[in-house]
Amino acid sequence: MGAAEIIFIIIALFTMIGALMTVLSGSLIYAMMGLISTLFGVAGLYIYLNAPFLAMMQILIYVGAVSILIAFAIMLAGPFTMKPKEWTTVTKFIGSIVVSVVSFVLVFRAIMQTPWVQGKIKNFNVTTKDLGRIFLDRLAFPFEIISLLIVIAIIGAIMLALFSRRQG
Amino acid sequence: MTGGYLFNNLYIYLFLALFLLCTGILGVLFRKTLIGMLISLELILNGAGLNLVALNRFVSPEDGYGVVFTLFIMGIAASETAIALGIIILVFRKYRHIEGEKLKEMKD
Repeated sequence: MGAAEIIFIIIALFTMIGALMTVLSGSLIYAMMGLISTLFGVAGLYIYLNAPFLAMMQILIYVGAVSILIAFAIMLAGPFTMKPKEWTTVTKFIGSIVVSVVSFVLVFRAIMQTPWVQGKIKNFNVTTKDLGRIFLDRLAFPFEIISLLIVIAIIGAIMLALFSRRQG
Repeated sequence: MTGGYLFNNLYIYLFLALFLLCTGILGVLFRKTLIGMLISLELILNGAGLNLVALNRFVSPEDGYGVVFTLFIMGIAASETAIALGIIILVFRKYRHIEGEKLKEMKD
């Protein structure tokens, strides 16, 4: 077992422990830290999947923007003023664990029964140039739609903040 | 696809994506606050992206459509988070709490 495999196992464990910490921790700040560790782990898995551009985008967008946004929301509306208990009733916890485990078993069986075919080319090598070609040649319309969606989301967030302030 | 190094195995990536999906479902179902549900939703979206990239890498490595769709997912997740956090802060200003179970004015 070489160093690459050991690092891969560490990254995978990091991702899984981060996901568990995100879901099970009692405080929202700890949940956000677990989310950040999960996002870093997924970025490492992207590097192992030969997609370094995607790993960089993951760190920039998710770790840099989304988690900071969540941190601001926690600080504006979160446990510092109200201290809400995250743990719900026992029956709800057991029910959600049952739903989660059942869906895990179903999808796991589906994965195991599907005959995955190996692709023809051995090494997967998609460069940033190829991604740009796909974005601006073949998928130009969805790309424009996504940019429109982001603009609408920004305008919507600003409008929500403004109107709530005017009404007090 | 199988054999060789551990990180050249498709099933490990699918298993990790499935694990992220199931922990996300667990969080969405049993978290009390709206922000906790939103954080769990991010886990589900990350699992979907990991799934797409792994299938692109192992099953059809000719072109990069999986990577491109994962970038689309990132854009959609960012805008969704912005809107949802704006709504959550509005809810907090109006009701002084962000617990999902107590928001049932439209249900009654």
